[in-house]
Formats: sequence, structure tokens, C-alpha cells
Amino acid sequence: MNGNPSDRPPLARQGTDYGETSDVQEVHAAIQREKREPRVGLEPLSIWLIAVYGLALFLGGAYLGRYSGNFSGDSLDPLGGPPPAKKGAVGPGGGEQQVELSPHDRGKKIFSANCQTCHQANGLGVPGQYPPLAGSEFTNGGSRRMGMIVLKGLQGPVTVKGQKFGTAVMQPWDKTLTDQKIADVMTYERSEWGNNASPVTKEQIAALRKELANHPESYGEQDILAAPDEDIPGGGEAAAPAQAKPGEVTKPAPQPKG
Amino acid sequence: MNPAIDIPLKEPAITAAAGDAEQVERALIDASTRVPVLMFYASAVAWLLIGTLLAGLVSFEQHSPDWLSNMSFLTWGRLRPVCMNIMVYGWASMAGMGTAVWLMARLCRTTLRHPLLIVTGAWFWNIGVLLGVGGILAGDSTGHQWIEFPPYAAIVLFVAYALIMSWAVLMFRFRRGEQIYITQWYLLGAFLWFPWLYAAAQLMLFATPVQGVMQAAVGWWYANNLLFLWLGAIALGTAYYMIPKVIGRPVYSYHLATIGFWTYALFSSWTGMQRLIDGPFPAWMITASIAATILTIIPVATVGLNHHMTMQGYFPVMRYSPTLRFTVFGAMSYTVFSVVGILISLRSVARYVNFSEASIGYTNLGLYAFFTMVMFGSMYYIVPRLVGREWRYATLIKLHFWGSAYGIGLMSLMFLVGGLVQGANQENAAMPFIGSLESVLPYLRGVTLAAFLLTVAHFIFAFHFGLMLLGLGRTSTVPTFLNPVEAEGTEAHL
Amino acid sequence: MKGLFPLLIGLFGTFAFSWLGLTVVPNFQIGHLDPQSDEDGTDIYPMPKSGMVERGRHVYVANGCIYCHSQQIRPGYEAADIDRKWGERRSAPRDYIFDRPVQLGKERMGPDLSNLGKRAPAEESAPTTASAPTNAPSATTAANPAASSPPPPPNASPAGPAVSNVAGEPLPYSAAWHHKHLYSPRSVSPDFRDSNMPAFKFLYEKRLIEGERSADALQLTGAEAPPSGWEIVPTYDATCLVAYLMSLDQSHPLKEVKSSGSPAASAAASAAPPKGAK
Repeated sequence: MNGNPSDRPPLARQGTDYGETSDVQEVHAAIQREKREPRVGLEPLSIWLIAVYGLALFLGGAYLGRYSGNFSGDSLDPLGGPPPAKKGAVGPGGGEQQVELSPHDRGKKIFSANCQTCHQANGLGVPGQYPPLAGSEFTNGGSRRMGMIVLKGLQGPVTVKGQKFGTAVMQPWDKTLTDQKIADVMTYERSEWGNNASPVTKEQIAALRKELANHPESYGEQDILAAPDEDIPGGGEAAAPAQAKPGEVTKPAPQPKG
Repeated sequence: MNPAIDIPLKEPAITAAAGDAEQVERALIDASTRVPVLMFYASAVAWLLIGTLLAGLVSFEQHSPDWLSNMSFLTWGRLRPVCMNIMVYGWASMAGMGTAVWLMARLCRTTLRHPLLIVTGAWFWNIGVLLGVGGILAGDSTGHQWIEFPPYAAIVLFVAYALIMSWAVLMFRFRRGEQIYITQWYLLGAFLWFPWLYAAAQLMLFATPVQGVMQAAVGWWYANNLLFLWLGAIALGTAYYMIPKVIGRPVYSYHLATIGFWTYALFSSWTGMQRLIDGPFPAWMITASIAATILTIIPVATVGLNHHMTMQGYFPVMRYSPTLRFTVFGAMSYTVFSVVGILISLRSVARYVNFSEASIGYTNLGLYAFFTMVMFGSMYYIVPRLVGREWRYATLIKLHFWGSAYGIGLMSLMFLVGGLVQGANQENAAMPFIGSLESVLPYLRGVTLAAFLLTVAHFIFAFHFGLMLLGLGRTSTVPTFLNPVEAEGTEAHL
Repeated sequence: MKGLFPLLIGLFGTFAFSWLGLTVVPNFQIGHLDPQSDEDGTDIYPMPKSGMVERGRHVYVANGCIYCHSQQIRPGYEAADIDRKWGERRSAPRDYIFDRPVQLGKERMGPDLSNLGKRAPAEESAPTTASAPTNAPSATTAANPAASSPPPPPNASPAGPAVSNVAGEPLPYSAAWHHKHLYSPRSVSPDFRDSNMPAFKFLYEKRLIEGERSADALQLTGAEAPPSGWEIVPTYDATCLVAYLMSLDQSHPLKEVKSSGSPAASAAASAAPPKGAK
């Protein structure tokens, strides 16, 4: 026990009586020499400090006011101001676009907005990843298979023009594009980049959509190849391109089980 | 361990040293906190060692990346969050909780009633951190910085925290004395803010995730608040105890302390968004955080002035007292850390340094130069009181201090300067991007050297601490001074 | 401070203020965004990612790519991101609404990745050489007997996309380039300068070549090349990661953000209402 008076540092109080309690803990020298617990003085604030506070508040507040972009959720720009004007609102030829666009041209707009990122503007796709549409057997074949792919999407490995693809998933477009739009974009794809296949009408797409209504989302290559390589029945307006396909690309064998 | 002795309430003694009853009271309190606090400290030191070694490895791989590329769980992208999380949740939080337990017990002048709860909490916390680390290495990182632990680890941490926090309520419920001292404000704040903070982050990021970029906003709100309102508050509270306690003088001004506390709580909690500057966010959020960062000059100036005036005339005591030396270093670093933070948040500077290593330097200043050094100071004070021995080798303490001081000084300098260089090169579109990387590589080598210094310092400390745990400290009535005390009659009796 | 109660109120209040102000209020403002669509209801951006791309995101997160790469473009008046051709417009909250977890990133040891997919080569260049993997009849892992269509002529039609430049190196930012970069970052560094990206060799398998080289084997040379008779192929995770990387594309114009890119790019996809569309 730390009981020897001679060991205590001179500042400790003498006469500690440990006999008060029988099982008191050993009072370590560290505790003995400790000063009292901290307490707080009451000095007043300095006027200079208040000046510093004022300056800080002013700077902070000024910064907040200046760079907050009107506190609006749309202002990404700290200097505020409305978001930039919509494009095309003051297009020079905007008013003249009253001419009815052909399905091909409508399809081109839809293509560049939706399909171009993957299949690329030149329809060549990305090797290993996004199949080409130019010269593809699916694009040039019957519109049924192509329609199935566009409506319901495609996943898993697929071979197009002899090359394998499989890293990307094609999303279904049945929920995001109307029948007319799907028809237009397919028409565009089937007549662009050297492709020469029959156009597609919205009635055909509507019929196909109804036919596939119960099908789960995405197809795999087997499903597509299992379907007959024909045009969707009900196609009315067979515009200029002939049904016969010039033989630049051969059709793949319809039987998957070889 | 817990005699139900009714210590008669007595006003603190007027004389410099404590009165008898007060001494006995403190002895009882220390006895009751011994196991929990030492358990926290031992765990924290273990995590510190692991974390520092990892930090060295992470830093090394940044400039020499071809090591260990064949194993998924050792890839740099997983080691880095593991290192960060170990330092924050393993070392910092546990050292902070250990110190806070002891401080609260002392300041509430009540023995710790259920130490087993806290010990269990500490074990669960360790398990949580271990689970989290394993989860990240296995590939379950959540992807949000500072909160990468997968949810299954977060649950364990939460349970652990509930156990630990329960004592805080009890402690406060049974406190004796009228006044609530400054340290208690900070510690109470920290212990109440942390669960709310953690729960809000877990909820808004994982349980019912917010959409898109709001996740990043919530993530950085959490990270900054963790640094300031959890770790920073514990460190500031500790400094407010240790400095006046060691030198035996009152804190300079109550008013300064009050203003400092409330402005700290108010402004520091609004920072965080400045890390997302120029990002896809409404500008007002970012600006609000920058303005709040500018306004943190108020608590920084206030707390700094308060400590400075408290210490006035007593700076020479830093020659002798390890606690004071570490604590004052930490408190001064708080000022430096805050000023650096303000500088790198201003838009004109941030455009250069936002994506550079400078922001890591800033974080390390806060986590290490400020928080960790204050924690070291508190451990040097508290451990002798728990084990009944003094620190054995003054030389080891000195080596620890200088290793840490030079280590963090070098590291901060390398990160900040390197970050500026890197950032300037990033913004220079004429230079190919890889040029910016090449310009910062020499600084990263400097960081590795600093990490080495820190590793040495930490191993020294851990060894010393281990000696204390084994009861191999000095038996003495006189504390371990860093330098021989010159005259017997010096005013500053230690 | 004498009272516990005022202290607790203050603690609660300051924190609630910050929590509400920085997380709840902005969540009202930008936390419930819908994708943008034009007047016809087409051209929806962004679209959620799925399948391999989503899995690739998890690989990205698990391996901590965020600690060196960012995915946000800063505005041109503030930073050099657009000057560096990392994107044509700054990022907006709407770009990220389907990202979970969002990987904005805070450090750029390596370049920004927001438009990585856009920078993939699309145009053809020199015709592929005979050793190009595009010609493989895939006899190794013949999972698809249906693909035994007659192989296209060796010098595939001029419309065939190229995967390599004349030297046989994969074109930058193509899938093959990504695989090579992940496996051995320094082997694709420009001018042999040092990148400090870690090698992700654990995402690749080394195996014996059975018959022909497989189509997706990495083209490696020098010290990195496997011993003869062996090839390095990506695991499924690697393939998914590359799919994710190549899906990163923020180039679609948004109404709320000014695009500083070429007028042609923005006009083609912009919402000039097509009159006459049914």
C-alpha cells in the first residue's frame, strides 16, 4: 500500500486516513499528485474577437448570397440565372419544318436518339459488343425476327455476320416506343447503309406486339432463330424496295439444332 | 471492483492538490473504469498498428503498383478503404471512446456502474470492424467513402454502440455536482450525434437509398460530420480537460468556451458539400458548405484563443509533460487543419485541388495531427492512473512524439504541395493527363517515407503501452518527465 | 452551463439543422428526378442499366475504382474537364438517377470516366490483319453450334469494324483495349510513360489454348505475354466490368445543361419537334 508518509510528494495532504473504509482501492501516486478537476474562468470577450466574428459572418454570408444560384434546385451554376434556353427553340429553319417527314426520315431521328449509342451512326456496331445493322442478316431478313428483337430485347451470345457478340444486353423497346416509331426506325434501318429490305408499318408492329404480349422480356438467340424468317403478316404499303434481297449476305440456317 | 460506498459530496478542494476524499473518489472511479478503458485502448492500439502498416503499403503501392496484383483481396482499390476504415473505426473511434469513458466518469464524479456492458460493447465493436474489413476485402464494399463497411458489419457496430452509449446516459443520470463542464458538453454531443449520424447515413444510403447524386451528398455529409462531430468533438473535449488539468489553471473564459462550442456544432456540421464542388449539384448546397467552412474560423479562433490564454505563462511545461506536449500539438493542429480546410474550399483554389491528393492531406491533418495526437496525450495521462505505474522510458515517449510530429508534418506537406502541383497540371489541358500523375509521384514517395516514420513511432508506442499493460511500468510517485525538471521550486508542479 | 435540458435541445437543434438542410431539403429538390424525354415520349435519357452492365458496376465498386477515377464532368468555365475532351457538357443530377451506388469520385489519379463508352472507336480504320481475333471460328468454347454459318471472307467486308490499328494493338477505349489495360496498365500507357494503376490480373484466367486461340484472348506482348500455348482470357467479371465501362456515356444533351460540344451532335438528338409524326 502506498502508506508511507515519507514517500508522498510534499504537496499532498498529510493525514489521509485509510481506516475509514476497509476495502478502499489503492490511491496511486498519480492521483495523489493530481491537481483539482478543471474549472472555468470568466474572462470577458475581447472586442477584437468580436470584430473577427463580424468579419467572418460577413464574408461567409456574402459568399452564400453571391454564389447560391437563387437557392434553386435547378441552378447548377453558382452565379445563378436560369438554365440555358432549349435548343431548337429559335432554330432558323424551325418554322419551315411543316413538311411531312417520310418514315425513313422519322426513323432516322428515332435511330439517332435511341439506337445510335450502341449500333453507331454508321450501323456498324462495336466488335464483340454491339452487333452491326449494316448488312446484318436480321436487319435484311424478314421483319418478324427483327421486330421480335426490337420489341422484346435480346441478351446472351448472338452471331451476326459470322461474328460473335455477347457482352451487351439489348433492352426491350416495347414500353418506350410506340408502334409507329418502331415501324419507322425499322424501316430506316432496313433501307440504310446498303440494306435493302421491306419497310415496316405500324399495323405490322401492332400485330406482332399483340402476338408477343405474353412473352417474358428478353429473347435469346435461340428464340429468334426459332421464329420463321418472314415478314410480319399484314404489311400493307409495300413501297419501292423489292422483296427479293440482293445476295450480299447469306441467310443463316433456320435450324438451330444442327 | 465496485464498492457501494457513498462518498460524501464535497466541493473540490481549494489547494493545488486534491483533498483526501477527492483522492479516494478518483481512485474508485479509476478502478471502475480500468477494464473497459484499457480494453478500448488495447484494441485501438492493435488497430493502429495494423492500420499504419496498411497505410504504408497503400502508400507504397501508389508509386510502385506492381505488387500483389494476383489476389483480389489485396488489390489497392480494396486495401485503401480498409486502411481508412481501420483508422477511423478501429483506432480513432475506439481510442476516442476509451478516453471519453474515463473523462465522463471523472467529470460526472461517479463510478462506472456497469463496466461489463462497455466491455461487451468494445468486443462487439471489434467484431464489427473485423467483419467490415473482411467484407471489403471480399468485395462487398458499399462504394461510399468513409462508410464502406457492408451493412452486416454496420449492424454489429450499431449494437456495440448501443451497449457503449447506454452507460453515457447512466453516467449523466447519476452525475454529481451542479455544473456541466465544457468537456462534458463536447462528449455528450459526440455520443448523441454519432448514432443519429450513422443511422441517417445507413438509412439514406442503404436501407431506403436516395436517388442518384444525393447519395454522394449524404455520403460526404456523413464523412465530414463524422470527422467533426464525432472525432473532433471528442478531441476538443479532451483538450479542454487535459490542458487545464495538467497545468492546474482554470480555462481562460467560459464565454469563449460557450461560443466556441455552439459555433463549432453549428458550422462544422454544415461542411461537407464543398468536397463536391463543381459537381452535379444545385450550387446553393456547395456554397452553403463553403460559407460554413469560412465561418468555422469563428470556433477555431475562439477555441484557439481560449487554450492559448489558458496556457499563457505555462508553455514551458510542455518540456516536461508528455500529455501536455501531445495535447497542445493536437490543439494547434486543429487551427492549422481548419485554415487549410478553408483555403482548399474556396472555389478559386478548389478547382485545382479538388481532385488531387491535397484533400487527402487535409483529412489526414484532421485525423492524425489533430485527433490522434490529442488521443495520444490523453492516453499518456490516463494509462498510469489505470495501471498504477508510470511510463517506463522517457526516451520512448520522446521518440514517439518526434516520430509522430515529423511523420505527420512531412506527410501533410507532401500531400498538400504534391496536390497543388498535381491539380495545377490537371487543369492545364495542354499537358497530357498522365503528366499530372507523374508530377505527383515524387511527393507520394515522400508520403511513404512519412508513413514509415509513423510506423516506427507507433510501434514504439505500442511496445511501451504493452509494457504498461503487463505491469512493467515504473513504480514511482513522480511522473515520467520528458526532460529533467530543473529546479525543485518551479511553479508548475507536476 | 447549468442546465442539461438546454444543452440537449441545442445539440438536437444544431444537428437537425444540418441534417435537414444538407440532406433532406436537397433530396426534395433533386432526389426525385425522372429521365428526360422529348415531346413524343421517345428519346429517353438516361436509361437504367441492366444485366452485365449492372454486374460490371458492382465489380467497379468492389475493386475501389472510385479511389482514382471520377465520373463527373465539371463545367467548362470552372475547370479543364471539357478542354480535355472528357465530355461535351458538365454532368447534371439527372445523369445519375439510376446509379446505385453513385460513383462520382473524389480523386483523379487517372482520368475521368464519365464518357468512356462514348470515346470507344466506332469508325473503321485499316482492315484487320489475319491475326485479328475477329476471324476466329470459335472452335474453343463451342457453346453455340448454331453459329456455324459459313465464315465471312477473310478480308471481311469493308464495313467490318476494326479492333486494332495497323500495329495490331487494340484501338484505345475499345473493349480489347480495356481488357489489356486492366490486365497490364503499363503496357498501354502512352509513350511508355508510367501509369500507377494497379494490375487487375485476378480478373483474368490463364489457360491452355485448345485448338485455336479464343476470340477474346488478350493480345499481350513482351514480358506480359503468357508462355506459348497459353492464353489469357477474361473472366465473366472482367467482361462485365468492360461492358460497364463501355456503357458510360453522358453525351446525351440535357435541357438543363448547356452543351459546349459540336452543334451537329446536339442538333441531331435534340427535340426539334418533328412535325407530322404520328
